[in-house]
Amino acid sequence: MSADVTTPFADRTIPVPRTDNRMDRVFDWLGERLNPILVKETRQALKSRQFVLTFGLLLIAAWGWSLIGLVMMEVDGGYSQSGPAMFVGYYCILAAAVGVFVPFGAFRSLASEQEERTYELLSITGLSPRQIVSGKLGSAVVQVAIYTSAIAPCLAFTYMLRGISMPTILFVVVYAVLGALGLSVIGLLVGTLTGEKHWQVLLSVVLIVGLLIVFFIGIGITSNLVFDGDYMFGDDEFWMVMGMLLTAYLTYFALVFYAAVAQITFVSDNRSTRLRVIMLIQHACLIAWFGYIYFTVEVMDEEILYGLVSCMAFHWAVMGALMIGEWPELSMRVKRGLPQSFLGRAVLTWFNPGPGTGYMFACCGLIAACVTTCVMLLIGMASGLGGSTSSTDMEKIFAFSVLAPAYVIAYMGISLIFVRFLRRFTQGTLFVAALIQVLLITAGTAGPFVVESIVDSGGFGGYSLLQITNPFWSSAHIAEGGTMPLEAPVLLTVVPLTALIVFVLNLPGILHEVRHVRIAKPVRVAEEDEQLAAETKPHEPVQISPWDVQ
Amino acid sequence: MDGSHPMIELRQLHRFFGTTRAVNNISFQVERGQVFGYIGPNGAGKTTSMRILATLDLPTAGDAYVDGFSVVNDPDRVRGRLGFMPDYFTTYSNIDVREYLDFFARAYHLRGKQRKQAIDRVMSFTGLDVLAEKPIDGLSKGMKQRLCLGRSLIHDPPVMVLDEPAAGLDPRARIELREMIRTLADQGKAILISSHILTELAEICDTVGIIERGKLIAVGSVDEIQGGLRRDTNLVEVRVLSGVDGLPDWLANRPSVSEIKVDGGLVRFVLAGSETDEADILRAMIHDGFRVVAFGARRRTLEDVFMQVTKGLVQ
Repeated sequence: MSADVTTPFADRTIPVPRTDNRMDRVFDWLGERLNPILVKETRQALKSRQFVLTFGLLLIAAWGWSLIGLVMMEVDGGYSQSGPAMFVGYYCILAAAVGVFVPFGAFRSLASEQEERTYELLSITGLSPRQIVSGKLGSAVVQVAIYTSAIAPCLAFTYMLRGISMPTILFVVVYAVLGALGLSVIGLLVGTLTGEKHWQVLLSVVLIVGLLIVFFIGIGITSNLVFDGDYMFGDDEFWMVMGMLLTAYLTYFALVFYAAVAQITFVSDNRSTRLRVIMLIQHACLIAWFGYIYFTVEVMDEEILYGLVSCMAFHWAVMGALMIGEWPELSMRVKRGLPQSFLGRAVLTWFNPGPGTGYMFACCGLIAACVTTCVMLLIGMASGLGGSTSSTDMEKIFAFSVLAPAYVIAYMGISLIFVRFLRRFTQGTLFVAALIQVLLITAGTAGPFVVESIVDSGGFGGYSLLQITNPFWSSAHIAEGGTMPLEAPVLLTVVPLTALIVFVLNLPGILHEVRHVRIAKPVRVAEEDEQLAAETKPHEPVQISPWDVQ
Repeated sequence: MDGSHPMIELRQLHRFFGTTRAVNNISFQVERGQVFGYIGPNGAGKTTSMRILATLDLPTAGDAYVDGFSVVNDPDRVRGRLGFMPDYFTTYSNIDVREYLDFFARAYHLRGKQRKQAIDRVMSFTGLDVLAEKPIDGLSKGMKQRLCLGRSLIHDPPVMVLDEPAAGLDPRARIELREMIRTLADQGKAILISSHILTELAEICDTVGIIERGKLIAVGSVDEIQGGLRRDTNLVEVRVLSGVDGLPDWLANRPSVSEIKVDGGLVRFVLAGSETDEADILRAMIHDGFRVVAFGARRRTLEDVFMQVTKGLVQ
């Protein structure tokens, strides 16, 4: 027995040899500050066969493609500009590694932790859910960096072969890396969705198919950019679109990242507020970009405003579908952090977890989008920055800005009533709530077609008021054409009125959630907080020189 | 920390899975330096309540506290104070003993020298220091159990929850584990331990709780449990020279005798009464012609109590 049971466990100390090498000390310092999961997974990866195999395959493929390219250049006498073709080949190899293997590896990393129950031990350590997800993401970043570094000399080599510019090479590498990280964070989110093996198998298949689709789309975009895209770099609109895409990328990256964090956060914690803040940032970014385009680009002004309302309606419909699936009761832990002041409660209550506050949050977002669109239109018309919009177009934009959000508010509200009803019998999850909304919208869209096909066997005619439950066709019907459609008065009365009634029906539930107030910390927690605060309080200043003030 | 609260406290804890009441209104406390043995048949609700304590599951009603902090509302504070050893062992591939402990030490925010010392201390305590560079996949079951214990000790928590820590261990390893647990308790750690090996629990536990079908049916010190359930009864074993024919019927006619069992040439029964009653019944046996060659009353073991109070019911 080597356990020394006679020596108290807590009193044993063993001297640790001091490291004298400066570089070692630097790496030690860095290592102390790295995420523990990153350290562990890097150690594991360096010993794993999978990494050696993937890295080896990447190098073999790159060398193979280099040889094929050289042979082909030899065949045509070496006079052609073979840079683009060679680059696309190398890109395919890089994209397969960083766009398929790494994101799938990120998914498996989290999924297998749940499958093999190592996640349970991990979850009860001092690591926060954010540290767990960022550690896994960090591991993906390291892999992307290794694979990209490995193939970088080949990519640089294509520049020597002529036909491709350095900005194009850098641009493609940057978007491949960003794309890989975006896909990795999606992989992590998918990995948190379930711990059940059969669902994980299904999700694996879906993820692989999705990654392959993105892989082929990426190859298509890269080929276009490499063969004909150089001129784009001088185009302002190209950079504006890139700016929009980057904004969308960053905000969705944050949303997906924190959604993955929320998925593995302890149930009694607040898993919603941070996500709602990101949704609001997305909302603001979307309005800012559309506003910028509306006031600076001189074409398609009406389309830009229709686009803004449509994007907002879609954004809040999706986010709202998830928010109404939240649990209505707040844990004691969440209640400890609720806003207390009148202003705080009035403004921040809608960021609290809960289906009612979530519904209200989405409704406010939609109404804000509708008002912003109308204000942008009025400012654009008054200042002349928004181009020349006729009064009919103006009316149609106003009508669309009312109709599209009204549909979302109505469908989301009806879904919420269903979810509340369902919760009397069973525990409705986020997935169930989202499914209910999808089913309702599908029924509202497909139902009129079914009725029409039964009533009129002669086939479908044009738009009629029977389609009033169809949010897509009804909204499009208002927007299309040169004049306001005949059905507009009915649509603009019935749909917003329905939305209002549904909203009023949901008010009791919303009010119930608004009534939550902050509660005091338990005595034990307050005691410890005081103790910790006392420990971190700076000591009394000690006089160490005659100039120090006593 | 004022020490006025128990280190582990379960308050009217309930956990239901559909219609199954895995944990049904369980309450008990474990003080600093105390070892609490949690006994029950398979499916009784031991692991469920331990998982709730370890913040891996949520109670349907009631709450559990570790060092005064609720597992529902302050799981982060509970986790830093609790070492949990589950009844399964899973690990990461391509990782050795030291790296495994290093990972968990980092995960508990131990830094620099403090972390290295914690790893060395745990490896020394669990006897894993000679296997520091060995891949975990190559460890024996006993060594894996030690590693699991080491992992749960790495942040030196004041509370330990050990779910079947001795399962699958050979006798020597069990004795070693028992010594380690006793040492930890002597250092002031509150330990909740479940096991099927009741004789072992009797030796290391200060308090025992017996659980069946989610309900705590007996709780108290080992002495209380062993003697207190039916303090005025004794288990008596009798061996008769020429077979036991007639003895069970003879015993059955006596009102102070119950639970008569025949095992070969041996008759076991429970006698209500004192030592005088034992002497009286022996005299009566001999008087009635039974050729008694052995007669002895023995103290109830934890196993006897367990068998007496539980009905082997599962849900």
